[in-house]
Amino acid sequence: MESFLKTLTALMLGLAALGASAGGTDIQIQDPWVQAAPPNVKVVAAYLEIKNNGDKPQILTNASSPAFDEVGIHQSVMHGNMVHMEQLKELTIPPHASVVLNPGGLHLMLTGAKKPLNIGDQVPMTLTFHSGQKIEAKAIVRPGQTEGMEDHQHMNHSGHETHKH
Amino acid sequence: MKNQSGALTKKILALLLVIAVAVTAVIGWRLGKGTSVRPPAEIEDYLFWQAKDLTDFKLMGADSKTLGLNDLKGKWSFIFFGYTHCPDVCPLTLGILGKAFKLMEKDPAAFQEVQGIFISVDPKRDTPELLKEYVSYFNNKFTGVTGDAAQLDALARQMSALYTIHPKEPGKSEDSYLVSHNSTVFLVDPQGRLYGRFPPPQTPQEIAEVFLKTRTFYNERSKKRWNLF
Repeated sequence: MESFLKTLTALMLGLAALGASAGGTDIQIQDPWVQAAPPNVKVVAAYLEIKNNGDKPQILTNASSPAFDEVGIHQSVMHGNMVHMEQLKELTIPPHASVVLNPGGLHLMLTGAKKPLNIGDQVPMTLTFHSGQKIEAKAIVRPGQTEGMEDHQHMNHSGHETHKH
Repeated sequence: MKNQSGALTKKILALLLVIAVAVTAVIGWRLGKGTSVRPPAEIEDYLFWQAKDLTDFKLMGADSKTLGLNDLKGKWSFIFFGYTHCPDVCPLTLGILGKAFKLMEKDPAAFQEVQGIFISVDPKRDTPELLKEYVSYFNNKFTGVTGDAAQLDALARQMSALYTIHPKEPGKSEDSYLVSHNSTVFLVDPQGRLYGRFPPPQTPQEIAEVFLKTRTFYNERSKKRWNLF
């Protein structure tokens, strides 16, 4: 009974916290973005953080986007200085943990762009988990960043002073 | 009699040879001492112990232009091997190199000497025209080139920049294959010698700072070499 109540409370809290955006799940998508690329590029990468606030592992099994022919879960792997890309069948997010997809490692590979992407565009994506849950996310197209800074590099030629970090 | 004089000539020759070797060694050692100044510790790991002369190569750029060893001379060239269907590491690295170039602008003399060269190891999908558009997105000092396997290997082998074109996965389209490649940024000096390298993962600050120090070191060392004579 106690555990039932606990579950119920957790569920209610979860619903309250996430209900509106994610349809009542333990999964939270944070900062989804697509690496801006030259207009003639048909293959781009999307990055995001997947947070699992629940007690059970969550397994991402599929991703799709109406703006692309195909979306795959990929990982760039370094062997010495050689970089290989590996396709993953699934991606597990442990309970109360998050997995971050960042440049140079885990990413969603979006292939077959239906039209060229511009900076600021939003790419709708659907992430499907093993539990059957589907999470919608909108990834914004932006220039790649290194270590989450340096965005101002793109505002040159405007007399803009470079900030010191 | 003949045999004896023959043996004597051999002995003299051997002695001369020993002297010649010794003299050469001493001269070489002295010259070496004068020229092989050790680079500052913070750039030492990025530089090759001995700059490596490159042999000529020919790669194809847009507008029927070619790129060969002569095009590297007089400039500092940052060379990266990749392919445009690479969604993660290639735009990441070119973005970093583009930002590094921006940081180098604070030293106009150095900035004037740099060029970026993106070599696609995937000529089947990457035409020179496509590469031109692709690289200009990251920086206007970048040139994109490619070539057939023999042309690519002529340069890639000299840099030990291995690459592999993987067969496509069953059931996928002809153009969906993946490519493995070296993600090092190579640095070629104005004499067309492989001089240094930036192994992954790189940052713009790292590339810019190491390069500016390397260039200073290189220029000072060249001056010293001239003073010797």
